[in-house]
Amino acid sequence: MALRNSPDSFGLISRLIHWGMALLILSLIALGLRISWMEPSLSNLWLYGLHKTMGLSAFGLVLFRILWHLISPPPGPLATGWQRLFIKAWHWTLYALMIATPVAGWAASSASGIDTLYAGTFVVPPLVEVSERAEFVWFILHEIFAKTLLGMVIVHMLAAVKREMGGDGTLTRMLRGRA
Amino acid sequence: MPVPFRFVLAASILLALPASAAPVAYDLERDRSSVTFETDFGPDTITGSIPLDSADLTLDFDRVANSRVSVALDVSGATASFPFAAQALKGPKVLDARAHPQMTFQSTSVQAAGDGAAVDGNLTIRGVTQPVTLRAEIYRQKGTAVGDRSHLTVRLTGKVKRSAFGATGWSDMVSDEVRIIITARIAAKG
Ligand code: HEM
Ligand code: HEM
Repeated sequence: MALRNSPDSFGLISRLIHWGMALLILSLIALGLRISWMEPSLSNLWLYGLHKTMGLSAFGLVLFRILWHLISPPPGPLATGWQRLFIKAWHWTLYALMIATPVAGWAASSASGIDTLYAGTFVVPPLVEVSERAEFVWFILHEIFAKTLLGMVIVHMLAAVKREMGGDGTLTRMLRGRA
Repeated sequence: MPVPFRFVLAASILLALPASAAPVAYDLERDRSSVTFETDFGPDTITGSIPLDSADLTLDFDRVANSRVSVALDVSGATASFPFAAQALKGPKVLDARAHPQMTFQSTSVQAAGDGAAVDGNLTIRGVTQPVTLRAEIYRQKGTAVGDRSHLTVRLTGKVKRSAFGATGWSDMVSDEVRIIITARIAAKG
């Protein structure tokens, strides 16, 4: 089984990252909504730490994913003409949001003035100065980015299922490598 | 349990003692004194302490109104019951320890009240001064004889609304009201 991508197949590494990150990001959104709705207390404070650790992991993974796709470019969408361009633009936007969402969360957390910990141990350097105004703005951006990402992922998923049912093997290619 | 030393009645109990007529100045026994606070965090309580820098107390058991209390706290040494709370507490959104390393209380009037005294004074937090009333109770220290006023324990308790001092950080999570308990162990000067 090929680790690398080829012009018409997804290698194992790209597929593992795609599905791993999909799971991670969907859990992050669910967890993020949970912590923004809950009443904070000593017994649930750790959920903030969990969300931050998972979010920073997602950020690390997306950087690795981009690096890997520079080394080993993935196949283009199984479509032609404007649809192909549109799908590519959609994927690029997903990447932009996969970067912007954790960066905004990290910046908001830095602006709050409390250390951001990775895995409860490592203090992550603050991205911005402590400021209530900055904290407010970055959290709003974090929420907008995360919810836009969720909306775009739902469309992305429905489109993939639709193309698969149409018989072009899009989903099979992301699952097994080849259409 | 320390033995309560009734502020007002103390005078009559201690009449026999020679030095009891005048106000007495006291030194703080810093290592044996503490300032603790507590506040609500959702269904839970955050507790913590802030070290005492200095305290200046002059007590007059005959004329309580002649008593004076002033206390200074070292905000940068504040601790709290869980790791993030101490950082939040000292940070710019709450006590802003970097800009305002001290918190002070200066009495403006002391009146006998029940078993203790009501101490009106000015409390300065984050450079903002607000009037507050603390309740004072004086106890004999363990191991001292009845009537011996050379070593005393003063307990000052009260509540403040942190928003009045601009210490508004995390107001959606942490209650506005903070309860303060100062336990000052003091020794008569000289
Ligand atoms: C891909 C990564 C991430 C996703 C998809 C994500 C998603 C979300 C979502 C959906 C919310 C709820 C927003 C709301 O309704 O207000 C949220 C809240 C939050 N996120 Fe993230 N997040 C990510 C990364 C991070 C990172 C890296 C940090 C910090 C280091 C972070 C810190 C927070 C915090 C502190 C909240 C709670 C805000 C509040 O109190 O309302 N997130 N996140
Ligand atoms: C947070 C969730 C998700 C994100 C951020 C995401 C992101 C992406 C991105 C950026 C690509 C382009 C290939 C690459 O660069 O890796 C892609 C491809 C793909 N995704 Fe997702 N995805 C997510 C979830 C899903 C889900 C739930 C499905 C399920 C149907 C799915 C199905 C696919 C398929 C079939 C492809 C291949 C498209 C092609 O061949 O052009 N993805 N995804």
